Amino acid sequence: MDEASAHIEAGAAAGPAPAVTEVPNPKIVVRNLSFRYGRFQALHDISLSIPERQVTAFIGPSGCGKSTLLRCFNRIYELYPDQRASGEILLDGENILDRRQDLNLLRARVGMVFQKPTPFPMSIYDNIAFGVRLYERLSRAQMSERVEWALRKAALWDEVKDKLRQSGQQLSGGQQQRLCIARAIAVKPEVLLLDEPASALDPISTLRIEELIHELKSDYTIVIVTHNMQQAARVSDYTAFLYMGRLVEYSDTSTIFTNPRRKETEDYITGRYG
Amino acid sequence: MLSLYRRRLLVNAFNLGVSVAMTLFGLFWLAWLLWTLLSQGLQWLGPHVFTAPTPPPGEQGGLANAIVGSLLLTGFGVLIGAPLGLLAGTFLAEFGRVSRLAAAIRFINDVLLSAPSILIGVFVYTVLVVPFGHFSGWAGAAALALIVVPVVVRTTEDMLKLVPDALREAAAALGAPYWKVVVAIVYRAALGGIMTGVLLAVARISGETAPLLFTALSNQFWSTDMSGPMANLPVVIFQFAMSPYEDWQHLAWAGALLITLAVLALNIVARVAFRRRKARQ
Amino acid sequence: MGEASATAVDRPARPAARPGGRALLQDALFRHGTRLAAVAVGSVVLGILAALTVGAWPAIERFGAGFLGSSAWNPVTEEFGALVPIYGTLVTSAIALLIAVPVSFGVALFITELAPGWLKRPVGTAIELLAAIPSIIYGMWGLFVFAPLFGEHVQPWLTERLAGVPGIGILFDGPPMGIGVLTAGIILAVMVIPFIASVMRDVFEVVPAPLKESAYGLGATTWEVVWKVVLPYTKVGVIGGIMLGLGRALGETMAVTFVIGNAHELSASLFMPGNTISSILANEFTEAVGELYVASLIYLGLILFGITFVVLAAAKLLLIRLGAREGRRA
Repeated sequence: MDEASAHIEAGAAAGPAPAVTEVPNPKIVVRNLSFRYGRFQALHDISLSIPERQVTAFIGPSGCGKSTLLRCFNRIYELYPDQRASGEILLDGENILDRRQDLNLLRARVGMVFQKPTPFPMSIYDNIAFGVRLYERLSRAQMSERVEWALRKAALWDEVKDKLRQSGQQLSGGQQQRLCIARAIAVKPEVLLLDEPASALDPISTLRIEELIHELKSDYTIVIVTHNMQQAARVSDYTAFLYMGRLVEYSDTSTIFTNPRRKETEDYITGRYG
Repeated sequence: MLSLYRRRLLVNAFNLGVSVAMTLFGLFWLAWLLWTLLSQGLQWLGPHVFTAPTPPPGEQGGLANAIVGSLLLTGFGVLIGAPLGLLAGTFLAEFGRVSRLAAAIRFINDVLLSAPSILIGVFVYTVLVVPFGHFSGWAGAAALALIVVPVVVRTTEDMLKLVPDALREAAAALGAPYWKVVVAIVYRAALGGIMTGVLLAVARISGETAPLLFTALSNQFWSTDMSGPMANLPVVIFQFAMSPYEDWQHLAWAGALLITLAVLALNIVARVAFRRRKARQ
Repeated sequence: MGEASATAVDRPARPAARPGGRALLQDALFRHGTRLAAVAVGSVVLGILAALTVGAWPAIERFGAGFLGSSAWNPVTEEFGALVPIYGTLVTSAIALLIAVPVSFGVALFITELAPGWLKRPVGTAIELLAAIPSIIYGMWGLFVFAPLFGEHVQPWLTERLAGVPGIGILFDGPPMGIGVLTAGIILAVMVIPFIASVMRDVFEVVPAPLKESAYGLGATTWEVVWKVVLPYTKVGVIGGIMLGLGRALGETMAVTFVIGNAHELSASLFMPGNTISSILANEFTEAVGELYVASLIYLGLILFGITFVVLAAAKLLLIRLGAREGRRA
């Protein structure tokens, strides 16, 4: 608690840059991360730690940088020529922003699920097998086993087990999203990044995804971006509130939602802006 | 007030009537052309057209060597042109979104797309016929390939750009290297559109005459030797139609019918196949 | 982190992260391979330009820019000029546009605004199929079917009605031979209608429905909506479509070669035979003997390349400028 009160004072005195919240078993440690889209600076000097095998949520109004921050963890932004990150992101103590980091291997360790379902134009089976084949040579039987394992993990097996050869694009939106989750976990990553995974789905599908997140956290370090505060409160252990590209507050979820230290956080949570 | 309104209605009715008439006018030409081809071509179409080679004037014969030649030239034209166009289109769509080189090549490709095909014939003549001293099937195939390339570049780029970035990100996020993202996911998503473009390019070159006049020329005799002059339907039709011999003119009509049916079939297949695909997605 | 955190998920052993690696090499190959193909496509066009210039050089040296203004064409005395084929190319294309633009507009209007749903696609496809028919077919049909009928029935009628009209009369005063500049222009018109009509249809279809609905809401008739709302809104695309059609008409070879009569004469009457750059190439290129003769033909080709390039560049510039203006307004 001493530390916590130190945060408050430091935050209040120095303005926007809060200190790193200590978390048990940090899987990812972010230090002084800044991010630019061309000339526009989207993230300013972010520092925080993501605990292993917990769910961490990023919340904040649209354009606050929460998705941008998430996209730094697997450097997916590298697909676009004018996007740059600076600072440090340590994954198990190794700086993944290092130029020598192999991006493909990084992404095999850090899986991602996107806002809109992105089934590949191929069968359900091949959707899952695609990522697995990139890094493992499995026999046919082993692969079938892996596909079933991933689909079961994603709570989709019972719905699709009779139509594995059908196109993944014929599934419903909620099923497609669970297919994408299954596809991501089939590679057996260590970290799972979820970028507003339920925002395009109906309430029932959303509920299923949330249940899934609960189950997956015993095996994976999960980071979820959401614009839905109730969702963050329901699924996450830690919550970071970002505003205008800055980390305003980061704490365990119950603290953020019941006893925020900063006025901006409180305003956002109580719906006064955003 | 009422009279103004009445005049507006009258203008409207008249102009819309003209519009219908214009449409009928356009369709009338298509019907007339097809009718001419069927009535002139069908009566001279028989098994001999497919089995016998082109005859000297006054003798019985068919178009067999020209048909085979056309298939060879078109086939090699596509085999050379389509992969090159696919790769270049891939560069423009995947690596050239903000590059100046890509912008320049995009413009140059449009120049090639709009270049008269006869100039492509002249070009290939100067680089592949003059140096070797004789016309050849290869020169014809090269000329056709140069017509295929800009069409395929354009459709490939357009179709790849229609594939949402989210799909690329999803594949890359699994740890796939970029070439694999493009080859295994993006190409697959754009396959229908790219194939349509290739089919339309095939349709276009299978009727092209002008670039073959100076390259493959033609050949009276049976030949599958791509390094020599080669008979092909369009040039044979041109020579026979312009000739004073009735037998030759009859064969020209039969060939014209064949080539038109093939081209129209390719067009319809391309359209139908792509529409079904689009509806499914 | 360490073994202590081993979990239920049995993670595969992956190669250690290292710089370089096969994937990086393959990515580089892919990137440079596609770039090479793109550069190759670009160099082909430069190659065409270079080959035409080199091939035309003897004629360029001999005649210079005077080539453009000379109507001579005599292989025996080796006097060559481009005026007649340039004139023929421009006049046939102008006739083609004069006919094709209003017809295409009518077709596009019919397909987008008038036709019932079930008729839109078949009519659209039928018009597009006109573009698929090989040009040599147009040529044969034009020579054997259209030209005789045109010469027998339409040309005398035109002469009778229009030959006396001051100014334009001279255009229609001539022997009704069927073939000639006017016939070539009409057949070109049929050939470019599908190009212009399908672009017009496509751009008409993207006009936002609320825009049209607000015009209809004021009590405008269909014609008024199309003429005063749809057409101004889409003028950029419409001009692009017309330019596309013009480009095709300028370079079209076979259809014109069949019906234009292939005479190297400059005559005011549209009924007289003439030639175009592409038809003269198709007819004489393989038979030309003598360096200067061949070079003059290639010089003609270079001029045609220049004309189509200017049309394309003008269309692009226009589209960029109009597009920028629309952008500012929005």
